[in-house]
Amino acid sequence: MEIGRKTTFVIAASTIGLALLASAARAEMKPPALAALGPPPVPADNPQTPEKIELGKMLFFDPRLGGDASTACSSCHEQAQGWGFSDDLSRGYPATVHWRNSQTVVNSAYLGKLFWAGAAKSLENQAPSAARGAVAGNGENDMMEARLAFIPEYRKRFKQVFGDEWPRISQAWAAIAAFERTLIHNDTPFDKYMRGDENALDDQQKRGLELFQGKAKCVTCHNGALLTDEKYYNIGVPRAPRWEEDGLAQVTFRFEQYAKGATEKMYRTIKDDAGLYYRTKEQRDMGKFRTAPLRYTLYTAPYMHNGALWDLREVVEFYNAGGGENEFATNKSKLIEPLGLSDQEIEDLVAFLSSLSGPEIEIEQPTLPDYAPLPATTN
Amino acid sequence: MAIRQRALSLKGLALAAIVGAGVLAMLGPSWAAEEFGKVPALKAKAAAAELGKRLFFDKRLSGDAALSCASCHVPEKGFSDGLALSEAYPGSKGFRNTPTLINSAHKAAWFHDGRLGTNLNDVTREMITETYLMNMDMRLMQERLKQDPVYVDLFKKAGYGEPSNGGVRNAIPEYLKTLVSRGAPFDEGKMSESAKRGFALFKGKAGCAQCHGGPRFTDDKPHNLGVPENTKIFVDPLRHVTFVTFAKFMGVKNYMNIRRDVGAHVRTHKADGSDVGTFMTPTLRELNYTSPYMHNGVIQTLADVVAFYNNGGGSDPNKDAALKPLGLTTQEQIDLVAFLEALSGEALTGPDFVWQDKIPTEYEPIENWLETSN
Repeated sequence: MEIGRKTTFVIAASTIGLALLASAARAEMKPPALAALGPPPVPADNPQTPEKIELGKMLFFDPRLGGDASTACSSCHEQAQGWGFSDDLSRGYPATVHWRNSQTVVNSAYLGKLFWAGAAKSLENQAPSAARGAVAGNGENDMMEARLAFIPEYRKRFKQVFGDEWPRISQAWAAIAAFERTLIHNDTPFDKYMRGDENALDDQQKRGLELFQGKAKCVTCHNGALLTDEKYYNIGVPRAPRWEEDGLAQVTFRFEQYAKGATEKMYRTIKDDAGLYYRTKEQRDMGKFRTAPLRYTLYTAPYMHNGALWDLREVVEFYNAGGGENEFATNKSKLIEPLGLSDQEIEDLVAFLSSLSGPEIEIEQPTLPDYAPLPATTN
Repeated sequence: MAIRQRALSLKGLALAAIVGAGVLAMLGPSWAAEEFGKVPALKAKAAAAELGKRLFFDKRLSGDAALSCASCHVPEKGFSDGLALSEAYPGSKGFRNTPTLINSAHKAAWFHDGRLGTNLNDVTREMITETYLMNMDMRLMQERLKQDPVYVDLFKKAGYGEPSNGGVRNAIPEYLKTLVSRGAPFDEGKMSESAKRGFALFKGKAGCAQCHGGPRFTDDKPHNLGVPENTKIFVDPLRHVTFVTFAKFMGVKNYMNIRRDVGAHVRTHKADGSDVGTFMTPTLRELNYTSPYMHNGVIQTLADVVAFYNNGGGSDPNKDAALKPLGLTTQEQIDLVAFLEALSGEALTGPDFVWQDKIPTEYEPIENWLETSN
């Protein structure tokens, strides 16, 4: 069902094509209606089971799934920091800093495009990229897989869940994905309201919702049940200030250009994150990032792909000013225009955005099992 | 079980003279006397070697900046580490003894199993990038180096242009060319009488020279001596994990179940397994600095090494036929040890070999970053 809806979407998008950008056509476009969020899709080849979810939870918190056994998924996706990381740039592997903001894991189960420029299409594919990247987990498959084999509790659990004699690293990613599919936030005040509870939003939030769908035009991209169209736009987020000030961040900045295959000319001259361009190598994709979903944002400051905006009010003010400027100005979305919102309207929008978050998701951190020798006799 | 069979003892001393001279005549290369000379000095490009020296001591060449080359190749310990089994990248432990790097630029194959037989450029790459060694993405390493003005200057002076991975892989081997033995009593004609007698035994009765010939005292070939397994590898999960990671990558069969280091089998992969447990003959230079001995550090002292050979080595179905009990007397063994000790020269610990200035661990920002070419 999820797949079908997305396919329709893609067909619709490509049919309309460039006309989307033409202002005449834009007015006619009716974005998918906002809606309450249902249960997340589960891929047929990785069904949820309680045992798999529990195993995935342990692995999510286990730093042995990283290069020097210090960096777990949870190191940059901390539950006390909105299941993300509360700094502009993610902390990165020891002796590094990342170059983008760490996104929340909450509701990532619904996304068809993971990472800021959609580099992974499933949670099963997102986890290994993060665990292996030089400024993220810096792990290596054979080593991480071997570590799992020397943890008897994991051997038992992997065998129970997947049936093989020895844990396989791909199974670790599958289990982590299953755990991440339990970090669901779909009963927010907004969801309750959309399901018919008139009192779930207060008056200010209701005014904010009106603005969101009307004068502020947020819904043009932040639409549907997920509040994102999962398309890519350059809204003019300025470059991360740390690239100008912080040597370590400059190292990573150049590494990313190099590793992501920038041309030599581009490597020499670029001073910003070209986003979707690194995947498509199309000039028109420079500076574009996937529209972010908006639930749980109360807990996930700072915002934008490089954490440039520190609270929700700043975000609304950014849009009200018609976005910002970066070096990819020719690609800046025509949808981004000054909105002329009053101070009160800005407050109302911020109030509405806060209705997209319910109580914080807190879980008890699992106890991690120890290594043990592997006697030859047990084989 | 197998371990106990191969346990070291001096009992074999009692077994008398089935003498090696005859064995010598039958087996192995015989080295002309003049081949036991000084290790030739190598001409290194000075500016490149200077750059290589700094790189060698810089921890930022490892993934999490915890280790430099010198963390395991310690100058005071003859560029080895004094441990039976090496340390490794944090989160891992090693499963072999760290070999000396002195004279390594003269070798034709590297690592105890000889698995790299090209050049030190490749060895440098292997050491920096291997997950249980320095676990470094060299693309990130390049950018770290470019952030350090000292490197920008040193690379330029070395003729390598701006800092690059290729430059690192060239510069460290240039530095290694400077690590050549010098000043050993053997080379300087300053051996004791005991050591001189030991040299005669070395070439004669003890048969050492069958494999340990040439200026570095090695034939650079793999042999099986029946060296006992170092059981620590298989009782310490961190070492065993590293072993499994390595064995899997090298295409060793049944890597989860084997409990022995297959050695140069990873290179030759003989179907009958007759190459299992062979290891490259090590140099005998600088042994005074590099205990413990053997590929897995199971032998602590040179006296024990000599006793091991006097026993005819250890026990292994594939043991090299050249190894037979030697019937050396206690005095003969003492003389052999004296000779081996005379093969160690000056410590390579001065400023010619060790980077003296403090190497920063952090990165200064590039001023005017927006206006500066990356």
